[in-house]
Amino acid sequence: MSYTITILNVLLPLLYIGTFGIYAYDFWKGEKRFTNSKRVLLFLTLLFHVVYLLVRTIFLSHPPITNVFEIFTVLAFSISFSYFILELVTDIRGTGPFIIIISIIFQVISSLFINDITFVKEILRSNLLGVHVFSALVGYSGITISAVYGFLYLTLYKDIKLNKFGLIFNRLPNLEVLETLSYYSAVIGFILLTMAIVIGIIWLPKAFPNYSYTDPKLIGTFTVWALYGIGILSKTFGKWRGKKVVFLSIIGFVIAILSTMFTNFLSSSFHSFY
Amino acid sequence: MMNILAVSINHHTAPVELREAFHLNSDEIKNLIHRVKEELFSEGLIISTCNRTELYGIPKDQKLDVLDIQNFIFKYKNNKEVKPENFQTFASSEAIKHLFKVISGIDSLLIGDNQIYHQVKEAFQTSEEMQFAGVLMKRIFDAATKTGKRAISETEISEGAVTVSYAAVQLIEKIFSSISKKSALIIGAGESGELAAKHLKDRGIGRLVITNRTLERAEKIARELDFETLPFNTFKEKMHEFDIILSATSADELIITKEDIRNTMKERNHTSLVLMDIAIPRDIDPSVKEIDYVFYHDIDSLNIIVEQNLSKRKFEIPRIEKIIDEEIDTFIGWYNSLEVAPTIKDLRDYFENIRAEEVGKNKNRFSTEDQEKVEIITKRIINKILHQPTVGLKKINDFGTTPEETAVKVNVLRDIFGINHNNKEEKE
Repeated sequence: MSYTITILNVLLPLLYIGTFGIYAYDFWKGEKRFTNSKRVLLFLTLLFHVVYLLVRTIFLSHPPITNVFEIFTVLAFSISFSYFILELVTDIRGTGPFIIIISIIFQVISSLFINDITFVKEILRSNLLGVHVFSALVGYSGITISAVYGFLYLTLYKDIKLNKFGLIFNRLPNLEVLETLSYYSAVIGFILLTMAIVIGIIWLPKAFPNYSYTDPKLIGTFTVWALYGIGILSKTFGKWRGKKVVFLSIIGFVIAILSTMFTNFLSSSFHSFY
Repeated sequence: MMNILAVSINHHTAPVELREAFHLNSDEIKNLIHRVKEELFSEGLIISTCNRTELYGIPKDQKLDVLDIQNFIFKYKNNKEVKPENFQTFASSEAIKHLFKVISGIDSLLIGDNQIYHQVKEAFQTSEEMQFAGVLMKRIFDAATKTGKRAISETEISEGAVTVSYAAVQLIEKIFSSISKKSALIIGAGESGELAAKHLKDRGIGRLVITNRTLERAEKIARELDFETLPFNTFKEKMHEFDIILSATSADELIITKEDIRNTMKERNHTSLVLMDIAIPRDIDPSVKEIDYVFYHDIDSLNIIVEQNLSKRKFEIPRIEKIIDEEIDTFIGWYNSLEVAPTIKDLRDYFENIRAEEVGKNKNRFSTEDQEKVEIITKRIINKILHQPTVGLKKINDFGTTPEETAVKVNVLRDIFGINHNNKEEKE
């Protein structure tokens, strides 16, 4: 079992890199040669990832959500899986490389540093924690995808304004579609992040008697949540659109990343679990 | 080899005035087909577009050559300015190859223009209606349309906009997701404005309004294309209602200022606005591009798209030439198969005649009983002699022999046995 985990741990980054390669090749060449096969490869990568997560859960007797590197591998899966669903629903296949590369980053970091810890603290075995982490991860996947589409929107917007009709212009979907994809991903991310926060608030006093609302992780998460809330409400009520909302989405994503890094690697937060 | 001839006056060989002089409308084509049928060809094809007029045909007389056809056209059009160098001439498989190049769009002035595909198809239909298309021309038609279809579906020869007005539409589609929910204002009812309006209508624009200094002209186009008009002196008050404004007037000065667009954007609550200025000199102040959510493009920026797409299309030419070569091989293979079967028959007839003649001369030397045996034995000898050549001839078409090799082998065989009496006439 341990051997399977090790093999898959090495294999997963390679599979993500391979999938990224095919998506990037199709984007670069625009030949649509791998239109269907790249989707199949992404599906297989996700399938291997599911097996990896299941084997870890069974072998280590806990779901892989007890430390930041386990969270990273789940996040890598969640981002690519969300993209896979989005690609199936919208049939927009040209934006894959920009999303899958984020999964590669998370998976490579995870594969390099992950440990097979069998002992976990009692508080991390709570069912509420499972729901909290699941909703937070899907929420973060949503805002990651929103930020990527936001970034692509800004790039295409700039290219069209400056009469640059290169790869970005030729391969990406139109501005309205990119804005819509960014917006809906943000809405899904926001709803799930709200769920994670609500569950966290309920569960927090029970699990950590010494918690603090000034904890950097909580401040970071609230800031991200508030930014997305402002952006979504402004767009919904027609006050903001386009670049402003997209900027907010990208800033929210950057704060989320910085907050995670700061909480887990630099500060001593109750939210660090390893 | 097949005897098909073609003569073409086109944009490679002749200036526009000459091409215009040799252009034929549909009545002229029908009239010319009557004349050509009488004097030159047993079957054929006449194509005439704004960039080319071409005659293809199977000569009635084997001695007829391309110069005769050129002279026929000189006389028919009676144009004194045209010279022999204004014509391209083709014979045999080169004529077919030229037709395949034409239908696949790689010989067009606007490379990849798929309008030519439909024009060639119409020309074939006219030939059929006029009983000018026989077995060979019908087969050529099938092969040509297959080549044209393959060029469109297997390559990107027709991808991307290659005219300014169509590039404007392509750009609009890169900004808005559903053009059917958008509204457009066309300023100027000249040729460019009308063409752009047609493109937008073809792409299913939600609302289309045209304004022009001379409202009658705008109303005429609006009636033809079924859209609204707006008086020129009030269009600025209504600009905020439109997502796309395309200007193509012949005005000498700017007609839309940055301030006009600023006000329009305020009224639009800063929703995206596309401004296409395809007029020379320009109608819209170019500094409007500094305003957020205003996508301003003039003829130069649209030309960048056109040039890029043309380069991409040129890049596809070798792939299409490969398709043409494949289809030419298939066609010539079919054509040569018409020659193989008669050759086998001719060869067998030739030997049978010799056998029958010799047996006839000598049959009195044998008894009545033996004559029957001689008949059987000599037939068996002939069959044995001809077995290998017959199998060999049949194999020619089956085992990867090129059409040219087939033709050479068949002709050598016919020459050796002196059976070169022409059965092509029957075929054609």
